[in-house]
Amino acid sequence: MGTLIYADNAATTQLDKDALEAMLPFLNQEFGNASNQYSFARFPRKAIEEARLIISNCINARPDEIFFTSGGTESDNWAIKGIALKTQNKGKQIITSSIEHHAVLHSCSFLEEIGYKVAYLPVSNQGHASIDNLREVIGTNTSLVSLMLANNEIGTIQNIEELSKIANDRRVLFHSDAVQAVGHIPIDVNTLGVDLLSASAHKFNGPKGVGFLYLRKGTDLLNWSSGGKQEFGRRSGTENVAGIVGMAVALKKNVDNLRANEIYLQRLSSLFFEKLTGSGIDFLVNGDNYRRLPGNINISIRNQDGEALMHRLDLKGIIVSTGSACSSGKLDISHVIKSIGVPREYALGTIRISIGKDNSIPDVLAIADAITSIILRGSM
Amino acid sequence: MLKAKCYHCDSLLSKDLIALNRKLLGRSIKKYLCLDCLADFLGATTDDLLIKITEFKEQGCDLFK
Repeated sequence: MGTLIYADNAATTQLDKDALEAMLPFLNQEFGNASNQYSFARFPRKAIEEARLIISNCINARPDEIFFTSGGTESDNWAIKGIALKTQNKGKQIITSSIEHHAVLHSCSFLEEIGYKVAYLPVSNQGHASIDNLREVIGTNTSLVSLMLANNEIGTIQNIEELSKIANDRRVLFHSDAVQAVGHIPIDVNTLGVDLLSASAHKFNGPKGVGFLYLRKGTDLLNWSSGGKQEFGRRSGTENVAGIVGMAVALKKNVDNLRANEIYLQRLSSLFFEKLTGSGIDFLVNGDNYRRLPGNINISIRNQDGEALMHRLDLKGIIVSTGSACSSGKLDISHVIKSIGVPREYALGTIRISIGKDNSIPDVLAIADAITSIILRGSM
Repeated sequence: MLKAKCYHCDSLLSKDLIALNRKLLGRSIKKYLCLDCLADFLGATTDDLLIKITEFKEQGCDLFK
C-alpha cells in the first residue's frame, strides 16, 4: 500500500498543527485544575475564557452562551433531554427530522420511552425538511424543534433561518445539530435564529473528546451533570483545558479561511465528478447540489455493493465511508439514504467521500480512478 | 462447512474465505477465489486479507459466524 488518501473528513479530521502546539503546555507543565482558586490555576482558567471568547466570536454569540462539553453527542443529548425534561409542564412533544444523526434520533427515542411524543418530519429527495410540514405539526404541546444544520451523510444544508422562524413565532425552542457545519460554512446564531446549537471539535481539525453547546441567554434546561460549578454551574466536571484550547485555535483558523477552503473544495469536487462522469459509470449524486457542505460527495452507484467498494478502496489505501452497512449478514441502507428515496438498485451502492482542505487534485483524481477500476473489474 | 472451490485454481475454500469473498466482492456473487487468487485479483497482499478477516470477526459481522 502506498500513501494513504484520507477522504472521510465527515467522520473526523486531522488535528491542526497550531491547535496541537497550543494544547501542549496544558498537557505538560500547565496541568493545574482550572477550577481551583490558587495561582497555579490562573493560566488554565484564563486559557479557557480566552477560548470561550474566540469560539463565541466565530458564531456571533456571547461568551456566556458557550458551554464546553465532551463533543457533539453530549451536546445533542444535553440539548434535547435537557430542554424536554425541563419544560415537560409546557408540553411533551419534540419535533425532529428523519435524517438526523443518531445522537439526536436516539435521544428522541429515549424520550419516547418515557412518554414523550416525537414527530419525525419527512424530507425531500434532496434532504430538505418542509416548512409547511413543520407549520402543520408544531403545536401548543411542542417544547422543542431539533433540525440539523447540515447532514453528515449527504451534505444538504437545511434552511434553518426559515424553519426556526416558525418555531420562534410559536415560542418553541429551536435546536440545531451543527456538528458537520461549524468551521465549514458561515454560522451566525442570530441570523439562524437558533436557541441551542451543537458542535464538535474533531470535525473542524480540533481534538477529539471536546465540543460545545451554544445556549441562548435566558434559555433554561436541566443541568447535564451535578458536582462542581464548572460551566456556569450547568455542566459539572473538571475542564479539558487542552481540548478546549485546541478547539478554539482550530475553529478560528477554519473560520478565518472559510471562503478560500470552500472555493478549493468545490474545485476538487468538480474535478472528481468530471473524472467519474467521463468513466461512464451509472451513478446518482445524493443531496442538494447547491446548498451542500463543501467537500461532501455522496454517490449511489447502480448495482454495486457500497460496503464492498469501501473495503476495496481501503485495500488500495483510499479511505471513504459507505451508506450501506452490514447488519446480521445482510446489507442495510442508511436511514438517510432511505429517507431521501434513493432507488434500491442504487442505494445499496452508496459511498460517501468527504474531501478536506488537506486533500489535493491528484487525490481526488486517484479516488475517481480507483472507483472506476474497481467497478469495471467487477467481481469476476 | 460449505464446499466451494476457487474459480481460478480449484482449491477448496474455508467458510471464512467464502465470507471474505462476499464481503469484498458482493453478497450476491456465485464465484469465489482462494486467498492467493483473491489477493492477486484485488491487488492486495494475503496479509492484508487475513487482517481483514480478523477485523470483520471482531466487528461481529454475521457473514463470518
